[in-house]
Amino acid sequence: MLRLPHFASPVVGAVAPMPRRAAVGALVAAAVVLGAAACGAGATAQDTAVGNGSSFVTGSYGTTVFSSGSRPKAPAVAGTTLTGSKFELSADRGSVVVMNFWGSWCTPCREEAPALGSLARYFAGTDVRFIGVDIRDDPASAEGFMRTFRIGYPSLNDPNDLIALDFSGTVPPAGIPTTLVIDRGGRIAARIVGQASYSGLKALIKQVQAERG
Amino acid sequence: MTWLRTPPHAKPDAHAAEAADQDAAARDGLGATPEGHRDATADNRDATADDRDAAADDRDAAADDRDAAADDRDAAAPATTPAGLSLGVAGWLRWFWRQLTSMRTALVLLFLLAAGSVPGSLLPQVGTNPASVSQYYSSHPVLARILGDLGLFNVFGAPWFAAIYILLFTSLVGCVLPRTLRLVGSARQPPPRAPGNLSRLPFAVSYATPVAPEAALEAAAEALSAKRFRLRTGPGWVAAEKGYLREVGNLLFHMALLGLLVSIGLGGLFGYKADRLLVTGTSFGNTLTALDEFHPGRLVGPGDLQPFTVTLDHFSASYVTSGTLLGQPAAFNAAIRYSAAPGDRMHSYDLSVNHPLIVDGVRVFLIGHGYAPEFRITDGTGHVVFDGAVPFIPVETSGLVSEGAIKVPDANPEGLGFVGVFLPSAIDVGGRLESYFPAPNNPMVSLVSYAGNLGMNSGPSQSVYSLDTSGLHELAVSPRPLAIGQSIKLPNGLGTLTYTGYQQWVSLAITYDPGQTAALWSGIAVLAGLLLSFMVRRRRVFVRASTDEAGNTTVELGGLTRSDAAGGFEEEFAGLAAEISGLHGAHIDAITSTDNDAEQTGRPAPEPHGPPDSDQSVPPDPEQSAGE
Repeated sequence: MLRLPHFASPVVGAVAPMPRRAAVGALVAAAVVLGAAACGAGATAQDTAVGNGSSFVTGSYGTTVFSSGSRPKAPAVAGTTLTGSKFELSADRGSVVVMNFWGSWCTPCREEAPALGSLARYFAGTDVRFIGVDIRDDPASAEGFMRTFRIGYPSLNDPNDLIALDFSGTVPPAGIPTTLVIDRGGRIAARIVGQASYSGLKALIKQVQAERG
Repeated sequence: MTWLRTPPHAKPDAHAAEAADQDAAARDGLGATPEGHRDATADNRDATADDRDAAADDRDAAADDRDAAADDRDAAAPATTPAGLSLGVAGWLRWFWRQLTSMRTALVLLFLLAAGSVPGSLLPQVGTNPASVSQYYSSHPVLARILGDLGLFNVFGAPWFAAIYILLFTSLVGCVLPRTLRLVGSARQPPPRAPGNLSRLPFAVSYATPVAPEAALEAAAEALSAKRFRLRTGPGWVAAEKGYLREVGNLLFHMALLGLLVSIGLGGLFGYKADRLLVTGTSFGNTLTALDEFHPGRLVGPGDLQPFTVTLDHFSASYVTSGTLLGQPAAFNAAIRYSAAPGDRMHSYDLSVNHPLIVDGVRVFLIGHGYAPEFRITDGTGHVVFDGAVPFIPVETSGLVSEGAIKVPDANPEGLGFVGVFLPSAIDVGGRLESYFPAPNNPMVSLVSYAGNLGMNSGPSQSVYSLDTSGLHELAVSPRPLAIGQSIKLPNGLGTLTYTGYQQWVSLAITYDPGQTAALWSGIAVLAGLLLSFMVRRRRVFVRASTDEAGNTTVELGGLTRSDAAGGFEEEFAGLAAEISGLHGAHIDAITSTDNDAEQTGRPAPEPHGPPDSDQSVPPDPEQSAGE
């Protein structure tokens, strides 16, 4: 269930002649390894092709809201936006920040994009900032995406996954898209893994916005 | 004074069983555990007690009351096996547990596990190849539904498969744990009492001596003690036993087996496997959004991934350029840089097949490679809408012909899509484009162009390697194929595509198994324990001394070991006998005894009872002997 939506394994069917690791020894060991491996595979087995008729795992969708006492601190995020300007998350301390991890190649990202674009316009003029993090994308495609969905807020280009890695100690994006709502104190108030809805995200933002900074 | 050979009919009945035991072991190709032999012995010896625990109880009884007559044990064994409906609930549970933990059941489960994995390799699996599963569903709808309901598209996640391996695991643990405890007891046991009639032991000798019985026994005890025998004394006798290292080996084997199970279990809970395709000149970080596939253990969350980064600087592959192996890969090498965490120092590393990168306990294997042609696409409005490398997937190995798709949903006025092949060494064979070699000698692409709705704004997720053409119309374009630098101008002012070059990519398998090191050491200990229990024999020497009416002292010596491993014991016993008799001022004339087992194996023993302390309390002994 933690598998990413869009990427099929390129390994399958690729390059037969490269042998895999040396085989494990004992028969018993092999059997139990198999069992243990099956343990792992079981977790990813639910929403697959058989279930939904498509070729790919649809990801685990869910919203996690952290109560004000238990919010993990957002890491220091800094980078360059697709348009070439510098961004630092700490500069937005005191504002509510909505951070959306996306890719132009990802169907649920494209599906949620109009909602995010509208919400950014809805909250324009308030202390809510929107920032995107473009994952595994080429900048030309990303710019096309932003034109198509009239996304007015900036997006960081993250070709090396450094921004996603910054979050690895706290609330890592567990799939694409992932949306984080960061409170005025720079702590993560909510995480949406999977496609965000207009009303759901709006309610979350308003809730965090209503808190006293 | 003569060496007495135990007549065939007086041999303990275990001998016959051992012979059958060996046959069974040879037939089954078993012998993975010393206990396996034990089981077979039990099965053969006592037809009613065909579950292993009966044999274990059997042995317990022997251990607990070694002085008791051996014949009582076989009579007791059947009482521990199911005797019909008279068993209560507890009795049935007990019976069930014994069945489950029997070696026979474990072997059956092992076989089932192997058989159960077969459909996993014959049918496409959702975990590894969801696209093929979907294809199977569309081409065989009825059959696929049945197979799907049986879980055959997800064998390793199917409940029936889980049932097999959970039962197997329980069976193994339930079998090994009690044995381990029993072996601890066995290794600490003192030697048994000396039997009454030493002349019936496989090796025996008696002689007269002027030395008084007490002094004779004391001297014998000292001699045996000097040879590191464990001693037990009683009125008129000394019992000595050696070879306890065998129990230590047995114990080591069982504990290591448990360790192996636990460490493998740890890996299953806390480990994970992931895949990532990486194009030359790019980087990735080990975090969920950067992985193509992720198979976590039960207790692994997105925050548990080690945050290393890997950059692929260069990939080279060399291929056989002549002979029958033409085009076969000869060597692969990926020059990478990595850091254990973002911001840490970068290290260089040459990644090659079976030479993984190990970073922060995680292994990164190079498992595949391919080509990623680069394209720049300008749409009808003059925007550059795509500029990058697109990984193509090899569809055959001799020429690495690769397939892929380019999707430009945000092109205007219409979305653009392309599917095609990359040919590393393109050649025209009678109007048909083929690749004659896997190296990029003449890298060309051949594309089919489409325009329209790519279907990416809603609905199910798509593969990045294929194009859904249902909302698209094909464009008539030329030229096809393209050489590097060539462009195709799309009709109706839809834009331009330029084939700008290519990169190579590698696919990496990322595995984290925290139990791996422990599993390795456990595996080594399993083998060491097994060897030890094969090589060392337990052997016993008994001494009795008595005086007759005339005041002459008669000393009897008897020796016992597993007959099938008697090889070196004969000499050892002869040496001991010579030494002890020498201490007693006597000497043994002629040593004519030879091992008489060969002629006895397989022959049923007509006499039911062996010596009071027969072989049964000697732990199982596979036929191998180091001749110690």
